Amino acid sequence: MMDLFIGLVTGALFGAALYCAGVACPAKMRKTLRLEDNEIFKIMLFALGLSSALLYVFNLVGILEWSHLSVKTMHLGVIVGGLIFGVGFGMVGSCPGTAAAALGTNIYKQAIVIILGGIAGALAFSLMYGSIANTGIFDMLNYGKLTLFYISYDFPSILDISYVGLLVMGLLLMAAGWFIPCKKEV
Amino acid sequence: MIKNSHSWLFKAVFLGLVFAVSVLVIKPVGVSTQFSMIGGMIHNAVDSSIITEDTTNKHGYSSSNAYYDKSGGSLAKSIKNPLNFAMVFLLAIPLGGFMAWFMDPQKKKKAQEEEQRCAGVIRSFYEKYYIREFLGGFIFLFGARLADGCTSGHMMSGIMQGSISGFVFAACAFLTAIPVALAFKKLGWGV
Repeated sequence: MMDLFIGLVTGALFGAALYCAGVACPAKMRKTLRLEDNEIFKIMLFALGLSSALLYVFNLVGILEWSHLSVKTMHLGVIVGGLIFGVGFGMVGSCPGTAAAALGTNIYKQAIVIILGGIAGALAFSLMYGSIANTGIFDMLNYGKLTLFYISYDFPSILDISYVGLLVMGLLLMAAGWFIPCKKEV
Repeated sequence: MIKNSHSWLFKAVFLGLVFAVSVLVIKPVGVSTQFSMIGGMIHNAVDSSIITEDTTNKHGYSSSNAYYDKSGGSLAKSIKNPLNFAMVFLLAIPLGGFMAWFMDPQKKKKAQEEEQRCAGVIRSFYEKYYIREFLGGFIFLFGARLADGCTSGHMMSGIMQGSISGFVFAACAFLTAIPVALAFKKLGWGV
């Protein structure tokens, strides 16, 4: 029950944050992807950097449960899936989370169609999964749940550096977000 | 037009806090798995024989579909019991989007801009029936399932934890997204 409540609160905060960041608007997102407007890039780089730096802080003060971390497996599917994802992302200027956030706004009609397309795409994948898996795509270039820094005994890491690596990476990302000149159509 | 202000910073801090707090209280944000759950629920409604209870499987269910049966029937269980954290999280997103939109002092201006944009587009069959939206949604979700995550799960949650798959996914996604977005404008298929 507690899980559901946490889901409600974090989901609502996530939706509100996506709307505020401007990513719930597909037209703005498409402008960003055409490199005409870079406010979203600034926001995303800074937000990512801040969250990495916060993970370092949470770990430092001892409130971070390592079991909450979740790293996804690296395999060829990530590359091929990422390339396919980009095609849809570039076409429509939306992704699964932002389409859900857009559902609560004035562009709900577009959002409904994007989501229906998404459900159909997910179902098509489920039906084809067996034959896709048989190609061995998930075993090729499989490096497991590899991370850059050592953040948990569950995941292999490239570097021996621990959470301080996340802090440095976070600060660099925040600096990148901060210093990129804001090119915004007004 | 170049505009320099720090309004973006508040937005970035808000988003960054949400990512970090999610990990603190439960787990990193992720959205695309739930689409497979919904697709699976529809599939199960059409053919209820695909998922069966099976106490020998880790999550208590097994399926004739290899994807639902994966990881000890984890998805099969979620399809049969959809009222779980992930689904509530997904359903709460539009709620939060609505609240933020409702409180946005600029919402009227934004709605007018959107109307203007749509008015500029020839209302072709393709625009009218949101063909781009449907195909785009289909393609990005298919890709996200193949990669086992989307912008939220791979790009945001992945990169913030320094995950290699997150960096690779982001690089690959932008490698196609940017040319496709540019091509759509160039070909006159909507801005």
